[in-house]
Amino acid sequence: MPAGLATYILRRLLLLPVILLIVSFVTFALGRYAPVDYVEIQAGPRAQPETIERIREERGLNDPVPVQYVRYMGNVLTGDLGVSTRYQGFPVEDVIFPRMWISLQYNAVVLVLTFAIGLPMGTWAAMRRGTWQDPLSIGVLLVFASAPVLISIPLLQWLFAVKLGVLPSGGWSEAEYLGVELGLFSKHAVLPILALTLPGVAGIARYMRGQVLEVLDQDFVRTANAKGLQAGVVVTRHVARNALLPIVTILGFELAALIGGSIFIETLLGIPGIGLLAFESIKSRDYDTITAIVLVGSTIFVLTMLLIDIAYGFIDPRIRVEGSIS
Amino acid sequence: METRRLVLTLTSIFVVLIVLLGGLTVILVAGGGGDDTGDTAGDGNGGGDPSGDANDLGDRIEGELRLFGPDPITLDPACASDAGSAEYIVEIFSGLVSFDLDLKVIPDIAEDWEVSDDGTVYTFNLRGNVLFHDSSRPVSAADFKFSMERALNPATQSTVGEVYLDDLVGAAEFADGDADEVSGIKVIDPRTLELTIAEPSAVFVEKLTYPTAYVVDEREVGDSTCFEGNWTLTPNGTGPFKMEEWDLGRKIVLAANPRFHLTPAPSLARVTYILSGGSSFVMYENDEVDVTGIGINNIETVRDPNGDLNADLREGPSLDVFYIGFNAREAPFDDADLRNALSLSIDREFLAREFLLDLVEPAKGILPPGMDGYNEGLADIPFDPEAARGLLEQAGGAGLLDGATILTSGQGATPSDILQAVIAMWEQELGIAVTIEQEDFGLFLRDIDDGNFEMFSLGWIADYPDPQNFLDIKLHSESLNNESGYTNPAVDALLDQADGEVDEAARLALYQQAEELIVDDMPWAPLYHGKASYLVKPYVDGFVIPPFVIPNLRYVTINR
Amino acid sequence: MSYAETSPTPFEAEPLKNPSYRVLRRLLRRPVAVVAILIIVVIYGAGVLAPWVAPYGFNEADFRNRYAEPSLEHPLGTDNLGRDLLSRAIWSAQTTVIVSVAAVLTGGLFLGVTAGLAAGYAGGRTDSIIMRAADTFASVPTILLVLIITATLLPRIVELARDVEDLTGFDWIVSSGMPSYFLVFGALAIFGWTGIARVVRSQVLALRQEPFVISARASGAGTPRLLFLHLLPNLTNLLLVSFTLSFGGLATAEVGLTFLGIGVQPPHPSFGLMVSEGVGLSNVREHTTLILVPTAFIVMLVMSFNLLGDQLTDVLSPRHR
Repeated sequence: MPAGLATYILRRLLLLPVILLIVSFVTFALGRYAPVDYVEIQAGPRAQPETIERIREERGLNDPVPVQYVRYMGNVLTGDLGVSTRYQGFPVEDVIFPRMWISLQYNAVVLVLTFAIGLPMGTWAAMRRGTWQDPLSIGVLLVFASAPVLISIPLLQWLFAVKLGVLPSGGWSEAEYLGVELGLFSKHAVLPILALTLPGVAGIARYMRGQVLEVLDQDFVRTANAKGLQAGVVVTRHVARNALLPIVTILGFELAALIGGSIFIETLLGIPGIGLLAFESIKSRDYDTITAIVLVGSTIFVLTMLLIDIAYGFIDPRIRVEGSIS
Repeated sequence: METRRLVLTLTSIFVVLIVLLGGLTVILVAGGGGDDTGDTAGDGNGGGDPSGDANDLGDRIEGELRLFGPDPITLDPACASDAGSAEYIVEIFSGLVSFDLDLKVIPDIAEDWEVSDDGTVYTFNLRGNVLFHDSSRPVSAADFKFSMERALNPATQSTVGEVYLDDLVGAAEFADGDADEVSGIKVIDPRTLELTIAEPSAVFVEKLTYPTAYVVDEREVGDSTCFEGNWTLTPNGTGPFKMEEWDLGRKIVLAANPRFHLTPAPSLARVTYILSGGSSFVMYENDEVDVTGIGINNIETVRDPNGDLNADLREGPSLDVFYIGFNAREAPFDDADLRNALSLSIDREFLAREFLLDLVEPAKGILPPGMDGYNEGLADIPFDPEAARGLLEQAGGAGLLDGATILTSGQGATPSDILQAVIAMWEQELGIAVTIEQEDFGLFLRDIDDGNFEMFSLGWIADYPDPQNFLDIKLHSESLNNESGYTNPAVDALLDQADGEVDEAARLALYQQAEELIVDDMPWAPLYHGKASYLVKPYVDGFVIPPFVIPNLRYVTINR
Repeated sequence: MSYAETSPTPFEAEPLKNPSYRVLRRLLRRPVAVVAILIIVVIYGAGVLAPWVAPYGFNEADFRNRYAEPSLEHPLGTDNLGRDLLSRAIWSAQTTVIVSVAAVLTGGLFLGVTAGLAAGYAGGRTDSIIMRAADTFASVPTILLVLIITATLLPRIVELARDVEDLTGFDWIVSSGMPSYFLVFGALAIFGWTGIARVVRSQVLALRQEPFVISARASGAGTPRLLFLHLLPNLTNLLLVSFTLSFGGLATAEVGLTFLGIGVQPPHPSFGLMVSEGVGLSNVREHTTLILVPTAFIVMLVMSFNLLGDQLTDVLSPRHR
């Protein structure tokens, strides 16, 4: 590892707490700034205003927001993420981590599938340039890339759950395999994976095709071709280096967008993952849960970005570390 | 070459993953055959052993009922304020009394009770054979005192304790922290509980059917509050079913309580509630659940006499009313003529029949059909645009309603079709343009509580099947829940009189008189009453969706 | 998957000096590009001219004629309230035009380009402050924060707008949905500028090494002059492609946000609203046209922008010079 890289990583890691502090305060303050809090929402129409006010007072909701924030962060630093109010009485970590695990499962498969199918497909299309196969495959992919999941999911649901009746219309089920709760081996996992993989593959394949074409047109490839090297060999050897960097970036963005992206798919399919939880928590003003989700989400993002930077350093040591992802 | 190494690594990772995925597909195909889409791959998988407790949705045991249920906020009886939570609580816990499916109060943990002559002292004799789920000990009067005081205790931070237990003498002092105990709750001996209320009330016993008055196990609950403590994962209740598993947000599994003290005792071996998923209607069609509600989009398919589902259709009343409330405190809505004009120009028959496809009953008053005191003889509210225009002229003309707004909950969502239809009718018949303003539910409730609106649309669902729950609570001028700000001394007098009336028939007659006065004044334009329309699999016997939350699962049997 | 990010497509650091008209001429020689442009022009044009083009008003409901089949009277049929679907779609296109233009102007162009230029040109401390800020903004789960902001700030802003209405007598402010437009796309702008800023910055860094910039600087050109006369024009092609792609992204973003209840507020029509009205499974099953109509429009629009972006990249690419 280059010496510069180590200090760079250290600097970025030192920045992490600062970012988290800013992000958590903004989230925290925004929540408290909402005109209606969780006590009032959950009290329902019949509760007496004095009761609500009393509970608010007891739960410290009437304290100045900075005071509440310091108290909250104090708890967070001792490993206590607070209590959920959407699931009244349950510690936040008991609520969010099982949910996160669910989202992680299907998203991980989607990510792998996306690249495993997208990369070869894009390369293949590029190699078929000039034949009918290239525009056809790219055209089909474009349709998938252009339809938001919001639209594709109901159509897929309709096709598989109603018309064919082979898949459940939504939900999630898990079973224990070797001591781990896994939901991937259930039919419930098929729809979300399909709905996310289709546009993902389309994006990656289209991108990869462009990259391969770019490389194919470069002089050194032409030379290599002229030397009689197999086109496939040339491409794998040379495309890889040029295309990998941007693809690592995309990978990072996809990882980072997990929480946001899962909101749609999970509300539509009723998958009890982190996206649905986030959505519900915001609706019910579950302050501690929202803040915890944002904190965890931001941490994942920052660490992913850091990993990308490091990967850059490894893939292409020529790249100046600072500003490499710019 | 760093590059080559990386490419190699990545490629091998992909290869491994593809092999894994291929394996997954094989497993899916091998294990997931047949039509049962809820089936998982568990059985066919050689690598891992599916969990022994067989809780996955795949394996259905004999006598298991599967339902699609709401994701509850809390299962603590002292804290639940919503029907979605109460649905589970009434099956797991129980109280002195409960409702049967005919909506009559029946003894539950209490064997019977006596009321003093002045109607303020209730003496409950408890059964001796009621055990907590863990069979550790019988329920005693002291448990009730603990549980009710816990609900009222300010330290518990319950928003509903006072709402349902406020009749008890000393409840307010205790809730304010001014007393060490509720003086109106006395333990005479382990099997005798004496409750004293400040004034005679016809609905006091009905209020005791609400979870707030249920019994919990002090040794388990301790000093946990509504916002701290998760003992409800393994609640030690006294209800017909006990908790087997609660997987937050995913499923709740209940098992029959073999020692349940009422007949019929539960016959279902297990009830599995699925808490999240796609469409419950499709889940029903795919045999994932045994019961489903029916929405407006599916009702025609279901009603088709030649369809597969027609035989499964069940209908029942739902004790609720959906209405448009007017702000009777302020001009122009303080004028009964104007309110009547708006009401008369709504074609309720069309809304209920054509628009909501008979899934609801058009309203002619406040009280829903099926409730004691429902006035069969009340005249329909006619659809009479001519009269409406006349009344509007009399009130000052359509100009009064320029820029009028109607408040509704559900920020961002499309407002309900029915509301949009009503507004279009007003525009058509009266030539007025009313704008819909949508707000987040919490804010909406606050705004209507504060009288910060011109009109609003809302529904009201019974807590207990008594006219008091509708008329007194929603339309008495001194009630907290009278959002319209409706004041009519004659109505107040009738309602107060009814509250103290012991004779049931006379009491209901008083409510009917009050309702007639209210309908004349039209502080609300009642639109319709809901109906429960649902599908039940032919092998499920005795399943009824009650008009409000009532323990109903112990009546269900499965005959496969 | 992530719609709020500006497309992260990285660009090769390559100064592109094609004057725009030549790009356009080359573009128009490609049939695919022409078709894409045509579709965009037709949909956007219909949106702009909605008051004149749409056969019915967007809220004109005919209750006695719900879920009508396509007919001469209603070419695409009617919806759950008997509103003409074609007219709703045309009015929705108008919303898309407004939203896209507003968002690109506020978010991408001003914030992104300014920040990118400043960071790339000034370098040093300015650069690192701007880029750290970008890191912070980018590390927030955008949709989540937009959701939170809407849940918390929107009611207050609407309140404010009502006060303004009372003061000024304009009673259309709240009902036009302007507060929510502003809030949502303001929020998207605040979190969405980082992508374009990074791209611009890296281009500027590359351009700074170019002889023509160095010589301009040597000949004493002031900073604004350098930025606007030398750097910015060299970025136009890059920005052109970025914006083309982000227009498609924004159309998708509107659908997503509106579905979550934080975008365009009803009854003002938008594709997002049309989708969320038709999205339920039982709706899709019984009344498929409700979802098919907005789907067709959105997919065509987004696809055209994607195609156009592809073609532009192709045309601008060095290998086709």
